[in-house]
Amino acid sequence: MTTREDEWAALLRAAIAGDGRAYARFLHAVSPVLRGIVRARGSSLPPDHHEDIVQEVLIAIHAKRQTWDSAAPLLPWLYAITRYKIVDAFRRRGNRVHLPIEDFAESLETAIDDPTVAHDSEYLLGQLDPRSAGIVRAISLEGETAGAVGKRLGISEGAVRVALHRAMKRMAVHVRRDER
Amino acid sequence: MKTHELIDRLSAETALPALHPRSIGLQIVTVVGVVSALFLLIAGPRDELMQAMSKPVVLTKTVLPAVLCLVALALALRLTRPERDARVLPLLLPLGAATGLWIWSYASQPPAQRFADVSVPALAECMGLILLLSALPAALALRWLSRGATTSPRISGALVGLAVAAGVATGYSLFCVQDNPLFFVTWYGAAIVIVAGLCALAGGRVLRW
Repeated sequence: MTTREDEWAALLRAAIAGDGRAYARFLHAVSPVLRGIVRARGSSLPPDHHEDIVQEVLIAIHAKRQTWDSAAPLLPWLYAITRYKIVDAFRRRGNRVHLPIEDFAESLETAIDDPTVAHDSEYLLGQLDPRSAGIVRAISLEGETAGAVGKRLGISEGAVRVALHRAMKRMAVHVRRDER
Repeated sequence: MKTHELIDRLSAETALPALHPRSIGLQIVTVVGVVSALFLLIAGPRDELMQAMSKPVVLTKTVLPAVLCLVALALALRLTRPERDARVLPLLLPLGAATGLWIWSYASQPPAQRFADVSVPALAECMGLILLLSALPAALALRWLSRGATTSPRISGALVGLAVAAGVATGYSLFCVQDNPLFFVTWYGAAIVIVAGLCALAGGRVLRW
């Protein structure tokens, strides 16, 4: 079992026992993994459908969270639910998708390298100014495009990308500082 | 709705009791047992049941569906966890035994006796009662199984249908006086397969999530 799996398993265990904060942290932590898989496999679908599918998977995890045997490893359970719902969501949109377990493992690795996942994302976002936090949340957690965020904030797409880059750098600094 | 809003909403919901496949299994066995017991209470078991059960062939008529019921139920309950894959290989044990019994019986009986018991009333009684008695337990079993998260809804449906119908056939065998394996293997088997097929179709809808 990986450290990541241990951490997520502890969160979900606490969540099943009724800890809403642990549950929110768990769902926030798995969201980028799901998003990565959906983006990687869903190039044939319009980007606005991607977040819908991520949300469908999150709802399925929520609805079936009691089926996880807390004495068993978490990742095979999470992978099975994710795979089932993503394949189902793509099929309902008229697309077929093959989702090998390697895809899941790769997305997981990516997520571990992502500072928004490696630490409590809400805590890290709290270290940023509200505008930067809003940009990171919109793009990295919600899956919005830089163009859409720029339009909403009244700035150019390039300025959004620069702000995102700087914010991510600042978050990475916090992660390293916390690890020491 | 934004994903973080969805997460906030989901995480606000209260705790959910953990899934216990064994208790689902116990519920299914209980309902099959109650329905079979009620049937035997109303119709009564066959005459001289204990004496008849001392014959291996008659005993097999009860033991074989009972084994099939338990194996199919265990496989169906296994699938309530989404990470478990569908397995049907263990079913080969009771199915192989039933096929072997049928072949042995066919080979050992004179042609005139092989299907002498087959008549419309006998078939209607045997198949009709197994189908009828399976209806309520199968519906309840599918509903209870939907608490799980099978990733193979049709296979789960078929397995639970197999378990329920085989369980009902076990109870029915204590009433049935047709002791020719060519009769009971064929017609019990047909009724069990029909229930399993219907439950597979229903499972595709009821067990999807």
